[in-house]
Amino acid sequence: MNPLLSFCNVSFGYEDRDVIRSASFDLQAGSCTALIGPNGAGKTTLLRLAAGTLQCRSGNVILNNESLHKFAIRDVARMVALVPQQLDVPFQFTVREVVEQGRTPYLGFLRGPMREDRMAVDRALELADITELQHRIFNELSGGERQRVKIALGLAQQPKLLLLDEPTQNLDIGRQIELIDLLHFLHSEGITIFASIHDLQLISGNFSSALLLSPDMLLMSGTPEEILQPSLLEKAFNCPPQRHPLLLERTQRYEKRAG
Amino acid sequence: MTLIVLLLVMLVVVVLFSLATGAVRISPETILSSLFGHPLTATQRIIVLQIRLPRVLASAVVGAALAISGLMFQGLFRNPLADPYVIGSSGGAVLGACIGIFFFSQFSFFGFSATAILAFAGSVITMAIVYSLARSNGRTNVITLLLAGFAMSTMLGYSSYFFEILDSGSNSNHLILLSWLHGVIGIPRWSQLAVTGMLLLLAALIATPMMRRLNTLALGDEYAHQLGLKVEYTRVGIILVGSLLTAVAVSLGGLISFAGLIVPHVARLLLGPDHVRLLPVTALFGAIFLVVADTLARSIFAPSEIPVGILMAFLGGPFFLYLLRKTKRSYLL
Repeated sequence: MNPLLSFCNVSFGYEDRDVIRSASFDLQAGSCTALIGPNGAGKTTLLRLAAGTLQCRSGNVILNNESLHKFAIRDVARMVALVPQQLDVPFQFTVREVVEQGRTPYLGFLRGPMREDRMAVDRALELADITELQHRIFNELSGGERQRVKIALGLAQQPKLLLLDEPTQNLDIGRQIELIDLLHFLHSEGITIFASIHDLQLISGNFSSALLLSPDMLLMSGTPEEILQPSLLEKAFNCPPQRHPLLLERTQRYEKRAG
Repeated sequence: MTLIVLLLVMLVVVVLFSLATGAVRISPETILSSLFGHPLTATQRIIVLQIRLPRVLASAVVGAALAISGLMFQGLFRNPLADPYVIGSSGGAVLGACIGIFFFSQFSFFGFSATAILAFAGSVITMAIVYSLARSNGRTNVITLLLAGFAMSTMLGYSSYFFEILDSGSNSNHLILLSWLHGVIGIPRWSQLAVTGMLLLLAALIATPMMRRLNTLALGDEYAHQLGLKVEYTRVGIILVGSLLTAVAVSLGGLISFAGLIVPHVARLLLGPDHVRLLPVTALFGAIFLVVADTLARSIFAPSEIPVGILMAFLGGPFFLYLLRKTKRSYLL
């Protein structure tokens, strides 16, 4: 089976600074993948490249067997939605008005939203479980609620692939678990999930595969177990295991097994 | 929908009262009954039809044009403090119009005088400059926007005085210039009123499909792009239509501050920020607002008049400061 999205030797940099160097990986349709790596490794950049908002400098991003840059942006927007870390909304837009913007790739030059668009918005609100929040003002919501609205906005695009940039950032542990449950649910609804996650504890058991991005190493992909190796993490995060409880715990576990 | 009908009725009532107000008092009933076969006296006819009506209609056009362009610029800059006067668009239009009057008053192009075309060009160029100064990385820096707009607005508005020095012989040009800088709605010729009225309708028509895109742009340029919106084209379109509306307003009433700021803001308080719903309400409300303001400006100190631009500065200034204070928190870096 052909992958839904592949990166083939993709490189990208901002002006003089290289961020992504020769990254290659495949995302299978129906997978649920976590992207991990230290701050500044280029996780957001990688997601933007996947959403087509940035163009790679060399290499190729392939979506559905077609080169991404050959698609019109609105056609990409019907297949791929990127949920950003931050969404600043000026004025007092309601949740529903924000989510309605996800229908933009389906509207024509003069054609405004129709019944099917309203239904898609209803469905997106329902999937993200925020139907009862729809008339609230977006700017007055809590962090966890905003995160769900951003996801609903992405879902209104009816994407095959949902990219999420640090969806668990700034959430308390309860909201983090709720969010992971939501991702599970969306995954079971047939949406391919690709999320950057900074909290390594959330990965095993929740994601079917993982990618490790680090400034000093080539991009690595594998199952969460393959990627969450202490030696790998230590190198990628440039951090001695004694200083990090998770790394320490894992190292000890491995040492016990070895011993 | 009900609100639109209500506003239309209000506009008619306000226009009637405005027609009735002035040195010679003619009751609204007299004017109304003249529509149903009770003719006015010859003097009343001249006062109502040739002096008051063109001016009242002009202030309605100016109000609607300023309000729509304010709405568009606020949406574009994602900021409730934008207004054609504040961001310098009006100043650019005045300068352009002055160049037209002083140097090219004989030329016309497809029936539009050089003055009108240059007012439009002045507005577009100023907007392009202010916009490029205020934007970085897909965000509007509010402080840069306000400062750049203020600088452009002052510079361009007052640089018009240079033309007076160059052309000190002509008294009529001097008066036109003064009335522009102070924001006086004059008594336009009917042909001028027809052209500007048509341009207002045309601009409102082109603006209609842009309103939905302004909602999308509210999520930020990058997000709008990711949703498949052609961000660059949309922005250029908004600047062009907004500048056209500014030029329409300036050609009838000169520099009138803050009307484009207050009207969309109040409409937003009533209806929420959805631009699609705001457009007709903002246009009608703007028309009502300026008809009332101009009626006040010519009757508060009757028999002498104050320019409506100066009245608006006194009304709008405190409102602007209030908004600045209220929104201060969200614009702190």
